[in-house]
Amino acid sequence: MGFLDIRNVTKSYGQVEVLHRVDIAIEEGEFLVLVGPSGCGKSTLLNMIAGLEGISGGEIAIKGRVVNGVHPSKRNIAMVFQSYALYPNMTVGQNMTFGLEMHGVPKPERERALADVAKLLQIDHLLDRKPGQLSGGQRQRVAMGRALVRNPDVFLFDEPLSNLDAKLRVDMRTEIKKLHQKLKTTIVYVTHDQIEALTLSTRIAVMNKGHVQQLGTPKDIYDTPANLFVATFMGSPAMNIIPARVVARDGVPYASVTDAEGAPRLLRFSQTNLAAWDGRDILLGIRPEAITDPEGADRKSQNIQTLANRVTVTEPAGSDTFVTMTLGGRDAIARMRADASVAAGQAYDFAVNMEKAVAFDPATEMRILP
Amino acid sequence: MAAVIQDTAVSTGRVTRVLIYLLLLLFALFYLLPLYVMGINSVKPLAEITGGNMMALPEVWTLDPWRSAWSTAQIGVEPTGLKPYFLNSILMVVPAVAISTIVGALNGYVLTKWRFRGDTWVFGLMLFSCFIPFQIVLIPMAVVLGKLGLAGSVPGLVLVHVVYGIGFTTLYFRNYYAAFPTELVRAAQIDGAGFFQIFWRILLPVSGPIAVVSVIWQFTNIWNDFLFGASFGGTSQPMTVALNNLVQSSTGVKEYNVHFAGAILAALPTLIVYIVAGRYFVRGLMAGSVKG
Repeated sequence: MGFLDIRNVTKSYGQVEVLHRVDIAIEEGEFLVLVGPSGCGKSTLLNMIAGLEGISGGEIAIKGRVVNGVHPSKRNIAMVFQSYALYPNMTVGQNMTFGLEMHGVPKPERERALADVAKLLQIDHLLDRKPGQLSGGQRQRVAMGRALVRNPDVFLFDEPLSNLDAKLRVDMRTEIKKLHQKLKTTIVYVTHDQIEALTLSTRIAVMNKGHVQQLGTPKDIYDTPANLFVATFMGSPAMNIIPARVVARDGVPYASVTDAEGAPRLLRFSQTNLAAWDGRDILLGIRPEAITDPEGADRKSQNIQTLANRVTVTEPAGSDTFVTMTLGGRDAIARMRADASVAAGQAYDFAVNMEKAVAFDPATEMRILP
Repeated sequence: MAAVIQDTAVSTGRVTRVLIYLLLLLFALFYLLPLYVMGINSVKPLAEITGGNMMALPEVWTLDPWRSAWSTAQIGVEPTGLKPYFLNSILMVVPAVAISTIVGALNGYVLTKWRFRGDTWVFGLMLFSCFIPFQIVLIPMAVVLGKLGLAGSVPGLVLVHVVYGIGFTTLYFRNYYAAFPTELVRAAQIDGAGFFQIFWRILLPVSGPIAVVSVIWQFTNIWNDFLFGASFGGTSQPMTVALNNLVQSSTGVKEYNVHFAGAILAALPTLIVYIVAGRYFVRGLMAGSVKG
């Protein structure tokens, strides 16, 4: 039993079921990120934990206490909203202590809690201002401060960074991570941004169409995606999905992919059990950073395969150069060192790290397990 | 060269501006003319009105018509002046405006932030009440007031105006609160605030503009209402009915100066409300339509 248990939870509106048997156990101090495209049910799940939406089936328990039907204010949770939801008529200080006031905490105690949190978040000089007089980043801090003041069991974050500009978003991301490391609080965090999910979380639940597609550590999710959806949703640029055929030579499996000219190229698999798929079609998943120039290839890898192919487009992005080529009739992207000498139209020998390659069954779209 | 061009541009602007101001001034004078006629004729002796020009300034200035209209003029059979009826109107209008505005705010709050099955239907039906002509409900209303024992009394009139006003006030507040972010209400719920605490601490403090709209609208309508006052006023008739009785009296000399003074007295409260709160009125009307 975890600290926050979501057991077989479903949600339906009338006849339409939008969440299907979600089952997640969250340990104390964990940072769980719910990530998925819009409409996948991640915010609905968060609202159900908060008590803002009813639970149609299953149960949610916080610290072993089932909270189905318990009022949001009695669950000992705090929530940070996407729009921050600061009360416009109250000062920052009043905003942050409103929850304590409503729970009947005496004034001196409120003041003490406010002072501690304001110092922690470095907003002590803003306490007498109204939310309308604050910048986006300051509002964000106040919204977090309001949650922290109450010292809840579980923090719920609903896309808290999506209203900030790109630069501030990265700063606040680091800030949230620092805060979590310092306070060791239990956090459930909803976002549609896969980078946020990968950088912040201790575990990720990737959701789509009301199902949890995969639950695991950021490394699990990134390196061994359970299915095609997770593979393409997580990571930027997305994982290359290349139609390929398995060819076994003396029991060693190779992926046969067609290059830009339509000629077959062979890449040896590290995953030996794929020999059983001899002669069958699969979808080969390779992350862009696993296709590089030979000098940039991972030196610790046991299985670097050379792939000769023609370059379609190069896109220098400062730190890396992205190279597009045609593989298996589709565009595939390689991530090269910034000063790799490649030019469009040129024939080039790419280094493919096949240790990082994954194979998917085209019929079920599930990963073929090793 | 440049200076010359600039000069012409400025002088053209000035001519247009003067024309615009002249036109506006003309319209303003036109609209103020009736008020002028009422004003100066209310401070003239009657002889000057019947014998001379309505537009001329008085030769003898006097406040007697005002005194007469306020405290001694013949209203119906009693020589009481308009004073007691003015008090009746105040006693009717203040609670009626206050109650209908508060109920409208609560309705708007529930219809937008505590939505329930069929809430749009409820709102639609309330909106429908804005379109019911007064005359249709006279007889049923009289029956209801009689059964409640409120016929011919100020509380009866208050009830009638509250019932009629709720449709409008609900419409105002619902549209205003619809633009108010629901996340704030949810945040307050998590913070542990109850139904009335959220209303009182979160919504009401930002409802100023729409409250002004509701108060002006309700005040003007209720103060100026004649039909309900004449029908259900009984012994406690409002100002409008008394003014009618003063002006329409068919016996004796028609004291036009007193009538003018009485009419101004009757119009004064709404005028004051507009002057004091008028600029918030437009602001409030705009508030719901434009996203802040």
